[in-house]
Amino acid sequence: MDNQDTFLSNIRTALDKAPGIKRSKTTFPELFASTNTAEILQKVRSRTVAEQDQLIEILRENGNSLNVCTHIAVSFDEAAAVVVDLIRTKEPEFNHTKHVMLHDHPDVAALNLWNRFNREAVTLHTSFNSDQQIKDKTIASFIGITAPTNAVADSATLIQLTEPGRPRSTSLLPSIHIAILRRENLLADLTEAYALLEEEAHLDSLVFISGPSKTADIEAHMVNGAHGPREVHFIVLCEPMPEQSVEELSDEKSEIR
Amino acid sequence: MSSPNSTYSEEAKKGIASPRLQASLHNLQHRFGKGAMDLWANMEDQDMRRRVKKSRMKNLAHLDIVLDELAEKVRARGGNIYFAKTAQDAIDYTLAVARKNKVKRVVKGKSMTSMEIGIDPALEDEGIEVVETDLGEYIIQLAGDTPSHIIAPCIHMDRNQIGKLFAEKLGIDHTNDPPTLTMAARKALREKLLSADMGLTGCNLACAETGHISLVSNEGNIRMSTTMPPVHVALMGMERIVATLEEHRETTQLLTRGAALQKLSTYVSFIGGPSSDDDPDGPKEFHLVIIDNGRSKILADPEFREVLACIRCGACLNICPVYGRIGGHAYNSTYCGPIGAVVTPLLDGINKHADLCKGETLCGACKDICPVQIDLPRMLAALRHKLAYGSDRWNTKQHNPAEAYTFRIWRLLVTKSSLYQYLIKIARFFQRPFVTKNHMIRKMAGIASGWTDGRDLPPIAPKTFAELWEEKYSKNRPAAPKAAEEEN
Repeated sequence: MDNQDTFLSNIRTALDKAPGIKRSKTTFPELFASTNTAEILQKVRSRTVAEQDQLIEILRENGNSLNVCTHIAVSFDEAAAVVVDLIRTKEPEFNHTKHVMLHDHPDVAALNLWNRFNREAVTLHTSFNSDQQIKDKTIASFIGITAPTNAVADSATLIQLTEPGRPRSTSLLPSIHIAILRRENLLADLTEAYALLEEEAHLDSLVFISGPSKTADIEAHMVNGAHGPREVHFIVLCEPMPEQSVEELSDEKSEIR
Repeated sequence: MSSPNSTYSEEAKKGIASPRLQASLHNLQHRFGKGAMDLWANMEDQDMRRRVKKSRMKNLAHLDIVLDELAEKVRARGGNIYFAKTAQDAIDYTLAVARKNKVKRVVKGKSMTSMEIGIDPALEDEGIEVVETDLGEYIIQLAGDTPSHIIAPCIHMDRNQIGKLFAEKLGIDHTNDPPTLTMAARKALREKLLSADMGLTGCNLACAETGHISLVSNEGNIRMSTTMPPVHVALMGMERIVATLEEHRETTQLLTRGAALQKLSTYVSFIGGPSSDDDPDGPKEFHLVIIDNGRSKILADPEFREVLACIRCGACLNICPVYGRIGGHAYNSTYCGPIGAVVTPLLDGINKHADLCKGETLCGACKDICPVQIDLPRMLAALRHKLAYGSDRWNTKQHNPAEAYTFRIWRLLVTKSSLYQYLIKIARFFQRPFVTKNHMIRKMAGIASGWTDGRDLPPIAPKTFAELWEEKYSKNRPAAPKAAEEEN
């Protein structure tokens, strides 16, 4: 801390303030003042299904321009069919066996992938927190499947928080990243995304992902797959909404995060 | 930064003579320079740039408070914070972390601060392998070269050179196909990234309110460097901080737009400390090194404080007519282009880097394109003032006393009309042997010869403008138009 005190005293000298007197943030309330986000959050939580469907279209369009493939599924079965097709048709990049790493998330578990490969040599791993071999299994995997917290339509951005059972490497090391998204978790823009992040109590590590890894360092020639995944697929789950009153709908949405 | 100043013109000549570099710079400026200007012109929120600039300046004025808040939040998550007054302090701390963890291999995410403090040679002297993982930086490292653009480090190399380099260094079959070359680097670097003991990155923007550093990348190398090795050391220039998440959103959006016209870069990583006990992966140790290295001196000078608002997007390089011709190597610094021409002298000596501010044109394009509207031309002129008259505050000596003396004489001449007219007549006489058949002076003598190295000069006219005016109008002044004609 001595080192910090000397350093900050030097800054206070540079700012023409008394070097030895620590300035407190409470004296400068405007320094950490933020705009009230209640209105933004209210807008997110009261979004109608029709508005959400519009966001899917915007997400798809913006994803296209980043080489993201967006699939729409009306049920977990349909979403699983998309995943199974990708696992069957894509080839591993770094080895010859088909390993797939799945986040420990109910929406990924609901795909029931374990039950869909009877005759093929496909090994499915789930990133359970207790598994000590997650790193090696992820390195071996050619597809990683996650269920990000939210997605932002305007920039085709996934918001992935690091949580128990949801390692960072699942969306990073495999050649293909598949993100399972619920329609109701789509956001219009980054303003909404940041407003939700401000609500988050334990914000330790997170990442915004907008499309596959890319580089244009050689003669400005764009190539996907510099270090991270070279393909990204969004599967947007649009389960038909049961008949509900508007109040119930809005209550439910406020719980989804 | 160690070569003498004279390399500026030598390197500039080399840059201008390279058709490859000229083509790359033209493409870069045509696409990104014009693109950014279009973006700013058509942005819905026209107040955003002014707002972000204001918040940058506000945070600089309260830098002690926001840094204190950041340190407290990162420490609360188990992260280590070290405040480095000098480059050597930052190097010593990083080496101590490396020694403690018995580090044999370091993977680097692209970081200009790391180059500024010269960490690579220090690590290598300890027997540690240092691997750049940004593709452009990796190519530069393999070639033993230096970067020539803030976000496109190997813009001066073409695919054939890179193909030859990869065939030599990576042992692959020769190819000049960018996707094949990229895949070769992907494989080679994946091995390094997965086996490194330490990740070393910079910090694009820290957020004090939440206690995070954030890093942007398109390739994913920075995510790899901050996720896979057991230790992560981040080097952060002390000014790269915002107070709130809201400021972070706006500043990051301007950064990625200014840098590459992107709404967001592919990855924006927020790191708030080491991986917690229930995190399945991520580094077990996190060290944030906050570096002064001359910045507090800039902060203390109201004339230059504004340059610390820079978010290092590199947009000014994409429009500067000087950078656009000479390329980045002439600047002989970690920071090139207009921003380099201001920051490098301030960090490393105004006399030492005198050519940089003198080489810029003061056209103002860098200010127009800057996402945070930094007035670089004003500061370039201020640096020239320091060179012309010297400055105790910046320990700057008068750069060229002979030139200053010449201009004093010149002032005397041009303010005494009769003396001026007389000397012009003498000069007309003495210039005769130098005027060629096409009525131009191709080569001047002595110290004046530099003026004609790159172009011909017109000779002094037989009559000055004042003389012509006197002849034509003063004795035979046309009559003023009649009032009636004016009404028609």
